[in-house]
Amino acid sequence: MSVDSGYIQNADELTQPFAAALAEGRLIVQMCNDCAAPIMYPKYRCPNCFSGSLDWQQVSGGGTLQTFTILRMGAPSSFDVEPPYCIGIVKLDEGPQLMCRLHPGADGTWDSYVCDQRVSFAPAAAAEVAERPAAWFTAA
Amino acid sequence: MTEMWTPPYPEPGSANDAAFIGIGEIPSGVYPERGFMAQIVEASARAIRDAQLAHTDIDQIVLIPCLHGIPDQADLIFSRVAEELGLHGRVKSSVMVHSGGSTSDNATRMAAGLVASGQARNVLVVYSERWGSADLQAMIDMLSVNGIPAEWEAPTGLQFNAIGGLITQRYMHQSGSTAEEMAAICVALRAWANLNPLAMYYEKTLSAEKILGSKLISDPIHAFECPFLADGAGAFVMTSATEAAKKHDAWVRIGGSGGCVSHYSAGQDADLGVLGWVEAAKEAYEAASWGPEDADLAEVYDSYAAVLAIALEGLRISPKGEAAREFYKGRFSPGGQFPLNTNGGLLSAGHTGVGGGTALLIEGIRQLLHRAGSQRQVPNAQRCIVGGTGGSYMDAQIMMLERVQR
Repeated sequence: MSVDSGYIQNADELTQPFAAALAEGRLIVQMCNDCAAPIMYPKYRCPNCFSGSLDWQQVSGGGTLQTFTILRMGAPSSFDVEPPYCIGIVKLDEGPQLMCRLHPGADGTWDSYVCDQRVSFAPAAAAEVAERPAAWFTAA
Repeated sequence: MTEMWTPPYPEPGSANDAAFIGIGEIPSGVYPERGFMAQIVEASARAIRDAQLAHTDIDQIVLIPCLHGIPDQADLIFSRVAEELGLHGRVKSSVMVHSGGSTSDNATRMAAGLVASGQARNVLVVYSERWGSADLQAMIDMLSVNGIPAEWEAPTGLQFNAIGGLITQRYMHQSGSTAEEMAAICVALRAWANLNPLAMYYEKTLSAEKILGSKLISDPIHAFECPFLADGAGAFVMTSATEAAKKHDAWVRIGGSGGCVSHYSAGQDADLGVLGWVEAAKEAYEAASWGPEDADLAEVYDSYAAVLAIALEGLRISPKGEAAREFYKGRFSPGGQFPLNTNGGLLSAGHTGVGGGTALLIEGIRQLLHRAGSQRQVPNAQRCIVGGTGGSYMDAQIMMLERVQR
């Protein structure tokens, strides 16, 4: 039993709520109880005011696509997905940003995406999220 | 609020001002027969000879890490180099400095600090890498794990070429640069490599047609716009101005430096089309009291074309958004107005891991020592800007190098 608690003690504690929310089709980010800053990626202390009092908050799921790329070969061995697949960085309307996967368009490709366009959170199937806990977005 | 702080840089000509006095390098490329430690000893021997020192004059070793394997890295950490060079029982310490691709800048700061504070007399800084002969999938996997947050970004399938793709996409969007203009960056670097006998692609030319006709790896990056992993080794020796003047008519000093760590995670940079260069340049130019308009050349980290273009704009060597177009117009090619990455850069001299940035630094020193040979020596080079970046372009590090004539 821990003799010292009251702070987030490991990465599992930090990541589990995010993955659990994704599995339910919700997107949450960390939030500081003291200065109300939204935080992503989650941290052990608030990067703004350094408070250790942190909680979670659901976000709207709306954001802008900062950039994206379609990886066509050379996927990591530990990542069991056959290329091509599309990775992007989304800046959420609430402020924080995160690396994500992008759904293909109706034509099965990612050709219609452009930087700075509006995107919205569109969770992948539960089985996919269980294996690879990433947020997925699509064109808004 | 943090108070403003201006670092007190040593004055030119002060006794303990740190001086680069020698360089050594062996060819970059795929050399499976060359051993890791053999490369270190050879590069070190060349640098010590170039510095006109005996190996026993070295009293401090600063090691730049390898990325190809943990056992060789452990040998660096545990002073094998001291023993291999016959310096055990002689050197005060042997220590590794590591910040990925910007290590050369940080190793230089450390070596210069040891000299300036009187804690070392002659410092040997050396790197050796065996990326060219390593197992490719193992290197891809290594680069897909290290420098990428396991909790937040690995689940997206991110790897290093994808990071290059994300940065390139953002840069092309912001600048309106075309695929042809981006390809011109790799073409210009290849033209420089064709003048450097130590470069991986000394004997192979590269055209925009070949680049744009190669397959897409991670849009918008083509196969021939990806860095080629190479074996290589290089070294340099630093001492004080007092010691330098005993044997040398000319050496190279550090007029100032600047740095900015902009992120750890690629997904957390405020703007991947800008990175940390603007902040770092402000500090470096203030410290040196000179800037891009005063530089005779620059050697700037270039593992992808957009990474170089973004750095050139942050350094104000190019106007915002114009770096790729300036390459296209020939400004940075051999014979152009501004010599850049005159060894061919990582993209054409070969990506020797952490050593790729070190090779650029060594080339900058070489140019200012006027030892680059008739093919590519920048006439009367006096000032060189060196830029490095590590990890997922997590930082921007700048060294303002100046030639000193006794």
